Parts: sequence; C-alpha cells; structure tokens
Amino acid sequence: MSKAVVDLPPKGGFSFDLCRRNEMLISKGVHPPSFRKTGTTIVGLVFKDGVILGADTRATEGPIVCDKNCEKIHYIAPNIYCCGAGTAADTEAVTDMVSSQLQLHRYHTGRESRVITALTLLKSHLFSYQGYVSAALVLGGVDITGPHLHTIYPHGSTDTLPFATMGSGSLAAMAVFESKFREGLTREEGIELVCEAICSGIFNDLGSGSNVDVCVITKGHKEYLRNHQMPNPRTYVSSKGYTFPKGLTEVLTTKITPLKEKVEVIEGNDAMEE
Amino acid sequence: MGDSQYSFSLTTFSPSGKLVQIEYALMAVGSGQTSLGIKAANGVVIATEKKLPSILVDEASVQKIQPLTTNIGVVYSGMGPDFRVLVRKSRKQAQQYFRLYKEQIPVTQLVRETAAVMQEFTQSGGVRPFGVSLLVAGFDDDGPQLYQVDPSGSYFSWKASAMGKNVSNAKTFLEKRYTDDMELDDAVHTAILTLKEGFEGQISGKNIEIGIIGTDRNFRVLTPAEIDDYLAEVE
Repeated sequence: MSKAVVDLPPKGGFSFDLCRRNEMLISKGVHPPSFRKTGTTIVGLVFKDGVILGADTRATEGPIVCDKNCEKIHYIAPNIYCCGAGTAADTEAVTDMVSSQLQLHRYHTGRESRVITALTLLKSHLFSYQGYVSAALVLGGVDITGPHLHTIYPHGSTDTLPFATMGSGSLAAMAVFESKFREGLTREEGIELVCEAICSGIFNDLGSGSNVDVCVITKGHKEYLRNHQMPNPRTYVSSKGYTFPKGLTEVLTTKITPLKEKVEVIEGNDAMEE
Repeated sequence: MGDSQYSFSLTTFSPSGKLVQIEYALMAVGSGQTSLGIKAANGVVIATEKKLPSILVDEASVQKIQPLTTNIGVVYSGMGPDFRVLVRKSRKQAQQYFRLYKEQIPVTQLVRETAAVMQEFTQSGGVRPFGVSLLVAGFDDDGPQLYQVDPSGSYFSWKASAMGKNVSNAKTFLEKRYTDDMELDDAVHTAILTLKEGFEGQISGKNIEIGIIGTDRNFRVLTPAEIDDYLAEVE
C-alpha cells in the first residue's frame, strides 16, 4: 500500500502547519500572548475638492490603554493616506510594505500613484493571508482620475464609498455620518463632520479615545493635521508635585533574610605543587 | 598575444592576470556617449550627451539621467539596456534598505550594493559583465558625493570625473577647471563647457541632459528650458 501523503513544495501565503499545535496548546490551557489592538474609530469622507480622513489616537492592549497618542493615519504615497484599525503591527507593516512597493512603481512609471493601485496591492496581500493579517483599513486619496475612498476588510474584500467608518467605534461614527453627510461639502464642513464622527467614537466607545487626527487630501496638496482636536486633556496636574515622607506607609510584617556569606578561599601552601 | 585565447570566457583569467571580458566591457563603455560629474561644495552635478540616432526619435521619451532615490541620481556611459537593469535593481535595494532600517540609504551603501551586483556578473556562469560605467551623485548626511562604478564592480569617489568617448580631453579640461570651493551653479557651467569641448554639432537643451542635487537633498533632472538658460549664461 503506497503512502498517500505527498510532500508539496512550500507555496506563498499563510502556512497552516502550526494551527493544529496551537489548538492543542489552547485545549491544554496554554494561551497565546495578547497583541496590541488599535480598538479604533477611523473614518473617511469625500468632499467637494477631495478626501478627508480622520482617526482617534488610542491604542489598547486588552483593557489597558497602551498608547494615548498613537498615529493611525499612515502614509502610503504623497497623494494617498490610509487609516488602520485592528492589530497595530499588522496595519503598520502592511501599509509600510505597500508604500515601499508604490515608491518603486512610481520610479518605474514616472507617474503619480493611483488609489486603486494601493487598493489592489493591499487587498491581494490580505486575501493571501486569509484574514490572519488583522488589518481593517480606510484608504483615501486623490489621483489623476479624481478623489477615491475605499474600505478594506481583513479577509481582503473592499468597498468604494462616499463616506466610511471602521473599527470598534464605527457604529458611533457612522450614526453621525448617516444623519449629517451630504454631497459637495466644503473643506471646513468636511473637517467639522469628521471631527464630530471621531468624537462620537471617542466618547461612546471604550476602545477609542484621546485626540482626533485629521488628514485632508486634495489635488496636488495634502494636509496632515496631527491632534487637530484634543478633547481629553489631563485636567488636574498638581503644581506642587507629590511627596511621600518616610513613615507614611504602615509596616505590616518584617522578614530579614541574611545573604549567604562569601566563601573565603584559604591559600593552601603549594597545594597543587607535587 | 596569448591573451586573445582567453578572451571568450569570462570566468577564466588570462596569463597576464586580466579578465579580458571586463577589458572589453570597458571598451564598450569607452565608445559610449560622454558623460561627466562634478562635486561642488554645496551639491553635485552630472551631465551627459543625448545624441539620438535619428531626428525622428522622440527625444522627450529618452531619459538617460535617472533618480534612484529622492537624494541620489545616476548617469551612465555605455549600453542603455544594461543601465536600465542596474537602475531597477538599485532602486529595489534602496527600498529594501529603507524597509529594514527605516533610514534613507546612504550614498556609499547604495554604491556598494550596486557594485556588488556588477561584480556578481563577472563571476557567474553564463552571464556577461554589464557594459556600462555609472556616475552616482548623491547628497546625504556626509555631504555631496560623486562615485564612479565600473563593469568590474570597482568603485571610486571622485571630485570630478568623465567617461565615454571623450574621456581624456574631458578629464584634462576638468583638472584645469576644478576648484574645491566651487558652487553648484559654477559646477553646472563647468559641466556644460566640458561637454561643449568634444561636442559635434550645435549644443542645446535638447541634446544634453543635466541632473543636479543641492543642499535641499532633492535630485532632479533639469528641463530643456533650464538647460538653455544655463547655456545662454555660458555663451
């Protein structure tokens, strides 16, 4: 009887070899380490002259806020930016990779990058990793064919929309957009609406918080407004500082462990000499 | 000379200790169009002749000076297609360096990696050396730099250099004209005068190409109109 197992050459994409082992470990009670998620509110909208992207700035590790002012709007090309929700490492790595690929493409073609190119590069990468690269993105930019706004889901599907929200605060932000969005907003109106949507996520979703970042992209020009709004300042900071005088802490028990004494080596008289 | 018996195989040394294929590659460079580079105190300029085989060729589509990164540019003498391949490889290497170290690649590093590629092709089977010499101009934290890379893979840093058809006349001219405290604009004028020395026919913004990089660290190729302005200043 011949062996039915054939050794296949390693193909690209995700290797599922260790999945069975991981499941076995979990069943034995060994949990994988938790990763830093962005637990986010990210939004984008198309206005009269281009695209506006917005994001909050809180990064969470489970229930702990690990970064109070992180940057979620990533550079892809001079005319294309991308907001990232999901696992922070995944969004950083995937946007850096596509940004580098687009730079090479720009050198070879001598042309400005198109949003659809960034979209296709991102979605093919995410699809080949079958959703294991946990990056949910809002991609926006203005190129020769006009302003574009897309959302990309971790499994690789995309939507093209006039306004979009992603992340844990997406429902809060979408509520604002659905009631107040209209075609042909001006720059000021667009920025105000984006800020309102992000603030809605900041105040109503635990995974989002701190400040509002905004990025305005128009034909031939972009403005990255880092910390455009800071609705969560640290309200009370003691100017005198804090002192903790000795004796303030109550001593409950005392236990003294003497350190081992150093072993003295007594020089033996020519101990080694025969 | 016994050398000619060893001239067909790249990977065989001749009795005189030369790799004859590389010598021949240098001859291919020597019969290419003149190109030169000058390092000024506050920048670098590289220039080349752009003689097209016929007036019917669309000269706007030919670009001999290419950017490798935002702050490094390159020009060549020799075989155009070989140059294209090297430019592509160098650009990719610069991007990979940036992805790995999140730092713009220093000029010396990029030159070293490009030279390593050129050397590979002198020691592998079934390939031939690149028939180009490159002049790499860049501006990084170490200031303005100009490097020449040969088909053998050796590279040198120059204050001013020339390659191609008119190399000996051009180098003599540069030796006389070069000063350490030259400014970028003077360097451009000197470059134009050097090209003019061996130029057949009427020199204009359409049949030479000039690339410059200054303290702004932005490499760019001058437009034909800008070259014509410089030419007018030189007259």
